[in-house]
This record gives sequence, C-alpha cells and structure tokens, in this order.
Amino acid sequence: MSGERRNAPPRFLEAIVEFLTPPVCREVVLGDLYERYRSPLRYISDAWYAIPCVVYSRIRRTADPGVLLMDAMLLYASFIGAAWQLDRDLLYQHSGLLRLAIPVAATLIALMLGDAYARDVERSGKRSPVRPLVQAILGVGFACFAQAAFVAAGFAFALPWWIMVLGGGFGVIAVSLVGMVFPPDDQRPRGAG
Amino acid sequence: MARPEPVGQFEQLVLTAILTLYDEAYGVTIHSRVQELSQPKTVSLGAVYVTLDRLEDKGLVSSWLTEPTGERGGRAKRCYRLEALGERALEESAATAKRVWDSIVQVWGKEWAKRWGKGAKAWG
Repeated sequence: MSGERRNAPPRFLEAIVEFLTPPVCREVVLGDLYERYRSPLRYISDAWYAIPCVVYSRIRRTADPGVLLMDAMLLYASFIGAAWQLDRDLLYQHSGLLRLAIPVAATLIALMLGDAYARDVERSGKRSPVRPLVQAILGVGFACFAQAAFVAAGFAFALPWWIMVLGGGFGVIAVSLVGMVFPPDDQRPRGAG
Repeated sequence: MARPEPVGQFEQLVLTAILTLYDEAYGVTIHSRVQELSQPKTVSLGAVYVTLDRLEDKGLVSSWLTEPTGERGGRAKRCYRLEALGERALEESAATAKRVWDSIVQVWGKEWAKRWGKGAKAWG
C-alpha cells in the first residue's frame, strides 16, 4: 500500500498458490498476497485462509443447483442400472445403495471443482463444444480413481470395477448431455474472490 | 429504486470500508479497514473475498480491474465501489443501528452510554 520497497515472496510459494487458486481470480489474489507479504510464514498463513474461501466463492458462483441435481439423479440411475445388469445382489445388500452413491458424490465434487477452476470464457473468447464431454469424463475419472484408492486401502464400500465401468460410461453420456443442454451461466460477475 | 436485501453485520463492515476508502478500495485495503472496524476481532482476507463476491452478486457493489502495479509484482488489483443499492443498504443499516442504540440508552441511561463510549475508545 505504501511506496516502500519490500521483499517479494519466494517464487516456489507463489507457484503453489498460483496452482491452487482458480484462474479467474488468480492475478488479483496473488497480487494481494504479494502486497501483504512480510515473511514466508505470514504468506503461507494468508494463503491458507484465503484460498479455501476463494474456491468456495467460485463454487458458489459457478455451481447450478438444478443442473447438479439432474447430474446426481442421472449418475445414480446409471450406477443403479449397471448394478441391476451386472450384480443384482448388490442392490439388496445392507449398504448397497450407499456404495452406489459414493462415486456419484465423487463425480459431483469433481464437476463443481472443474467449473470453479475453469478459465474465464469472456477472456478466452470461446467455449469449446466438447467441454461438457471432457468435464464429464474427468468427473467420472476422478470417481474411478477414488474407487481404485478405496480398493487399494481395503475399503469395504468399494464397488466392483465392472459396475464402475458400465455405470461410469452411462454416467459420462448423461452428464455431458446435461452440460450441453444447460451450459454454465457466463453472465455472472467475477470478483476478486 | 428496488429495496436492497438485508445485509449482515460483516457485510455492513465491508460496505463501510468501501465507502470510506473511496477509489482505493481493493482487497488489501478493505481487509485492513474491516480489521480496524471490527476490533478486537481478527478478520481473514478470505472472509473479505467471499463477502465482496456476495455483495457484488446482490448488486450492492461493483468492481473493476486496474492496471498492474509494481508493488503487487506486476499484477492488477480489483477495486470496488458502492452502487446506489449498496448506499441505501448502508443507510438502512445505520438507521437500524441508531434505533438499537437509542433503545438501549433509553433503558440503561446516558451514564451507561458515557461509560460505554470510554470503553469503546480503549478498544480503539
């Protein structure tokens, strides 16, 4: 704020903060943290409290509850349909429906984060027509990765891979169709956070 | 003019900070001013960001990007200004605060108000 000269934050710390901050607000947040820099510890403390809030604010602005609800229902239906086809016993197990909900939750989290971390369409000037498909693939891919981690950890709620593949495949189609029919609202104002 | 939505206490602090900073209202300065206004409580920069976004979504403030500056490592800053709706929201908040204060003084008396004033200065 004053004209006095200050030390700059370490480049590697800035790189980490840059990576974690959504692109739309990156320049402003990095600039504010740079201006407030006094020591590496204070920089880390500032970033520790700022970044989650910035990500939360982006999610709040970019997430469409109606679209997420449609995605959730279609994904859940895909996995239930896959279980019905490949392993009907799973549906009658005590925690069968809960196990099928876990990859749905993981996909939704990935989709919300994907929208929060998307680049500003106004600046880039174009929206890719395959973006909904890519996002759906990444979202379901994250769910598959989470399931693989559960299997490796011996987590009892992991789903069989054949259900993940079939349910995930139908889920990708369903979510990308929803994304094409209901694109994100680009007219929302972008703020510092 | 449309009636503004009610604003919470922290939102009032942020609106007040923007009002008092004129053209220099951006993340760092707003945070510093809010910190002064909310003493002795501490405020995080992230909380200010979230509130600024919420106020902008409500139409109470608007923002613009400035040119990059050297003191920010060659990065731009996002400055904020109060919109008419934001000024009205702040007026209504101030009027409510005044009514609350007057009601309390009516019950607890002017001596209490004087003692309270001295205590508030000690915090500052």
